[in-house]
Amino acid sequence: MKHVYTVGQVNSYIKNMFTQDFLLQSILVRGEVSNCKYHSSGHIYFTLKDEKGAIACVMFAGNRGGLKFHMREGQQVVVSGTVDVYERDGKYQLYAVKIAQDGAGRLYERFEQLKADLQEQGLFAPEYKRPIPRFIRRLGVVTAPTGAAVRDIMNIAARRNPYVQIILYPAIVQGEQAPASIVNGIRALETLGVDVMIVGRGGGSIEDLWAFNEEIVARAIFDCSVPVISAVGHETDTTIADYVADLRAPTPSAAAELAVYDYSLLRAQLDETAAGLTRRMKQKLTIHRMYLENARVRLQHKSPMGQIREKRLWLAQLSDRIKRGMQDRTDGARHRVALYAERLNGLSPLQKLSQGFSHIADKEGRTVTDIDSVQVGDLLTIHVKNGRMTAQVKEKEFWQWKKES
Amino acid sequence: MEERELTLEEAFAQLEEITGRLEDEEISLEDSFAQYQKGMQLLKYCNDSIDRVEKKVLVLNGEGKLDEF
Repeated sequence: MKHVYTVGQVNSYIKNMFTQDFLLQSILVRGEVSNCKYHSSGHIYFTLKDEKGAIACVMFAGNRGGLKFHMREGQQVVVSGTVDVYERDGKYQLYAVKIAQDGAGRLYERFEQLKADLQEQGLFAPEYKRPIPRFIRRLGVVTAPTGAAVRDIMNIAARRNPYVQIILYPAIVQGEQAPASIVNGIRALETLGVDVMIVGRGGGSIEDLWAFNEEIVARAIFDCSVPVISAVGHETDTTIADYVADLRAPTPSAAAELAVYDYSLLRAQLDETAAGLTRRMKQKLTIHRMYLENARVRLQHKSPMGQIREKRLWLAQLSDRIKRGMQDRTDGARHRVALYAERLNGLSPLQKLSQGFSHIADKEGRTVTDIDSVQVGDLLTIHVKNGRMTAQVKEKEFWQWKKES
Repeated sequence: MEERELTLEEAFAQLEEITGRLEDEEISLEDSFAQYQKGMQLLKYCNDSIDRVEKKVLVLNGEGKLDEF
């Protein structure tokens, strides 16, 4: 009688077998993505298949860091993870930890190898970078004649400066023939003669851009005597061509902006420079004119004519002062004379005589003013207004001036 | 002769130098006249050297000849 097991026991037993298998615990599986579902929980469910079969896969939200791109149906990928049993459904599936695009891995390795080699050979060295001329007349473009890149370059170049001649080398930019075609383009434009060259293409997958990671393209760019601006794909794509180019532009549009100078800006700059020059010259002239005027004034002061004029002025001032002084002095004297005359007039004896007063003198001619100086019998001379007479003193009396009370 | 080969960039560099010299207080009036004249010639040269003809994009064909794009 055989033992009967439960479903749970069987599944548990099988799960245990899986868990103990060394290979299944860490395995790399290559296949094509199908039935890919990004679940709202963050988990990704998909099936990996090839011509022989299919395996259910899940990547849990916690492992999403191991997926660097958006998985699409039909993509060839390499999944690393563990194969384990989901007991509830009795199914085994691949629990993905890391997912990489198949092919990209090998390409990446080649890219890194070539990059290291060329770096060692000095192809990326800054001392070999040619400066991009600021003002160009002819711009060479090596890219596909159709597509966004050439349009972007033409539009931006025409907008910034329609006077720059663009010469396009219609290159094949992806596939087997691309590297040789790009190399031919670089050489043809170098031979033709351009001032700057843009080499590039629009965005695409790493495989699409691969021609720009080829050594012959890198060497052609390095050997080119014309400065090369690389413009491959989008900002985030960096190719070997970008490392070796004299200048790397993030996009074809950016390359056109770097290569073609803005005409209106140049115009404005020229006008400003002209205005600046003229302004400086005018300043210079103004300063010199000021010096000249200054010198003229100084010289005038030092000249004999100036001296004479100055002395004459001084002389005139002095003479004025003297005259004024003189005037003041004579005026004062005249005034004083008039004052004296007035006073003298009041004191004049003649004046008194004419008013009926007389002047009496003794025989010696002294004026008699005191009764005590006269004796009875003395002869006195009396002067009146119009003559004199002699009189004898008959009697005399001392006057006692009495004050009334 | 030399000016024929002058690029716009070099012309600008020279203009910069001349402007600087004109700013210098020490420069004599004669020199400043000469510098100013040179500057004006350079500006004229810059203007003249810009080919103001709108260009059509040309394509280099297989025979190494140029066609309009």
